Amino acid sequence: MTWNNFIYFALPAVALWLAAGITVYGIKTHRHASLFTNILMLAGIAMFALFITGFWINIERPPMRTMGETRLWYSFFLSATGYLAYCRWKYTWLLSFTALIASVFVLINLLKPEIHSKNLMPALQSIWFVPHVTSYILSYAMLGAATVGSFIGLRKTRPYSNIFCFLDNMVYAGFGFLILGMLMGAVWAKEAWGHYWSWDPKETWAFVTALAYLAYIHIRQSGAKYEKTALWILPVAFILLMITWVGVNYLPSAQESIHAY
Amino acid sequence: MKQTNNHILWQTSWKYTESIIVTSTIIIAGFVLQITVGSINFSLLAAPVNLLLGGVIILLCIASLWYRNSSLMRWFTGVPMSVCLIAALLSLSLLMGLTPQLVNSAKDAVGLFARLGFNSMAVSWTFVLIYVTILLSLGCLIARKMCRFRVKEWAFYMNHAGLWLTLFAAGLGHVDMERYIILVYEGKTEWRVNSANGNMKELPIAIHLNDFDMEEYPPSLTVIDSASGMPLPDTSPDYYQIDTETPESILNGWSITLKQYIHQAIRNSDSTYSVASMPGAAPAAKIKAVHPENGTEVSGWISCGNRAQPYMMLPLNEQQTVVMTMPKPKRFMSDIEVYTPDGTVRKSILEVNKPLKVGSWTIYQYGYDNNAGRLSAYSSMELVYDPWAIAVYAGFILMTLGAVAMIWNGRLIKRVTKKGECK
Repeated sequence: MTWNNFIYFALPAVALWLAAGITVYGIKTHRHASLFTNILMLAGIAMFALFITGFWINIERPPMRTMGETRLWYSFFLSATGYLAYCRWKYTWLLSFTALIASVFVLINLLKPEIHSKNLMPALQSIWFVPHVTSYILSYAMLGAATVGSFIGLRKTRPYSNIFCFLDNMVYAGFGFLILGMLMGAVWAKEAWGHYWSWDPKETWAFVTALAYLAYIHIRQSGAKYEKTALWILPVAFILLMITWVGVNYLPSAQESIHAY
Repeated sequence: MKQTNNHILWQTSWKYTESIIVTSTIIIAGFVLQITVGSINFSLLAAPVNLLLGGVIILLCIASLWYRNSSLMRWFTGVPMSVCLIAALLSLSLLMGLTPQLVNSAKDAVGLFARLGFNSMAVSWTFVLIYVTILLSLGCLIARKMCRFRVKEWAFYMNHAGLWLTLFAAGLGHVDMERYIILVYEGKTEWRVNSANGNMKELPIAIHLNDFDMEEYPPSLTVIDSASGMPLPDTSPDYYQIDTETPESILNGWSITLKQYIHQAIRNSDSTYSVASMPGAAPAAKIKAVHPENGTEVSGWISCGNRAQPYMMLPLNEQQTVVMTMPKPKRFMSDIEVYTPDGTVRKSILEVNKPLKVGSWTIYQYGYDNNAGRLSAYSSMELVYDPWAIAVYAGFILMTLGAVAMIWNGRLIKRVTKKGECK
């Protein structure tokens, strides 16, 4: 399975996700809508997982090196996280939003795939490669979902407690994966480059992103007075996250980065 | 703590306003020091000075216990101060992420940004002062929490103590770390390196290189403009990485078929190639190119060559030529023997991601002669001495446990009822 086959898996997956995102609004009025939503969403996720598996086998290395490949995982994790969070907390809007964003990333991959060869440079050949990238992308998906939640929160008026219940859990789990990804990256860097932290531009931005979410976690301990501030931190933190993920390569400060592939 | 609506500055219990003022003062003090005193001379902090400094930090954290119920200590270890310190570290790191950083600390500070230490942020006074304040605030908090230890809060201890230990050991250990690049020729032994100030330095480790070897990925084919040598089409050149399972490809409109591929080939006298596993061998391919419009057909051997053999191209017409790119390294390794003063000899095959630990030193495969590739006569290795790494790793383990707890529990005090409310 190659990028040439992607469209045959991607378009059905997008159709299934978007269909689930629509039928989910019918669960209060229609008897079978809930079951229907579950089937559609799971089928979409399975379709996507099937492509990733086949693609991985075909290219004989983990598909995690290029931007296009990390976007593949982002779509997968975002739809899966959105679905799991929907099962757990019954937020209908979350399911449709994550389905929509996952679809947008699929479309980017269809229009601008950034396909690369099978080569995997020696520094990337490590047991840390897969868990490091997976942990980060999973965290990005969760924090992306939290950002969507913060927009809903910002549109509401007090009290926010309902939305914070979701936001806090999402940020805690997302931050946990962010830290795991960072620590695995540090251990890997020590094995590959001799030091666990070099203030490489990508590392610096990952540090900044982690601090922004750390600020959210702490300001949430300050009580109701700072709820609005906390809600505003999430979109800002997500902008920093996006710079870390895709923006760093374009910064003048990052021309020497060892993370540019 | 009670919420007061009419909060008076510097009185009652200190909160965000006071924390912002204190943090800002530290940042300004840092900038002033950077401009007046200049960059910190970290070599002055090498062991045992950093051990002493670490001892003082720990003692201060323990001493703070005597005042743990004072409003000052409650403020210094409290949430508003922590948020302000996080924000300060975030802002400084953001500046670091936006300004190109110097590899070595600022020697020629020209311009306001450079004089403020923006281009060597991690070693500037401002950054170091905020870093130390965080160590103190976090350390005092952990000490205070330890006094009324509750097993239920284990994740809190893991996260905070892990972060503190990591920052403490990484920060103080930074000055004790030594890193050298050593260049060893095949069949030779080397123990001398160039230190940072350009002098020759003898290390307590000698490395003998038995052999340097490399495995390569199959190279790519591309069509170039015969006159300019640029790959075509100009806007986004077509490349085909050789793969015997998918032998068909299209390069700049030509359909290319791979007839035969030899990864390690030697050129025969009649300009064909045959298999030969020897150091001077280079990849070679026999291809057929067909132009879809006029049906022109060209076939022949091409090779990227190396230092031992010339390259071979296949001209398609007067303007275009098929060439083979240089192969990319798959893995490269050094067969070495390591000698230490106590007489121990260690044999190992060094590879990227597979370093060798010898006492307090770790040896890493670093590079080779890029122009020679597989035929490189030498291998460069990096030697790293990092005695504090073990403490940093202990911090990593604590943080890992803390992170797992965060993923597992979420924000523990919140649970969702069936109605979707928080409890």
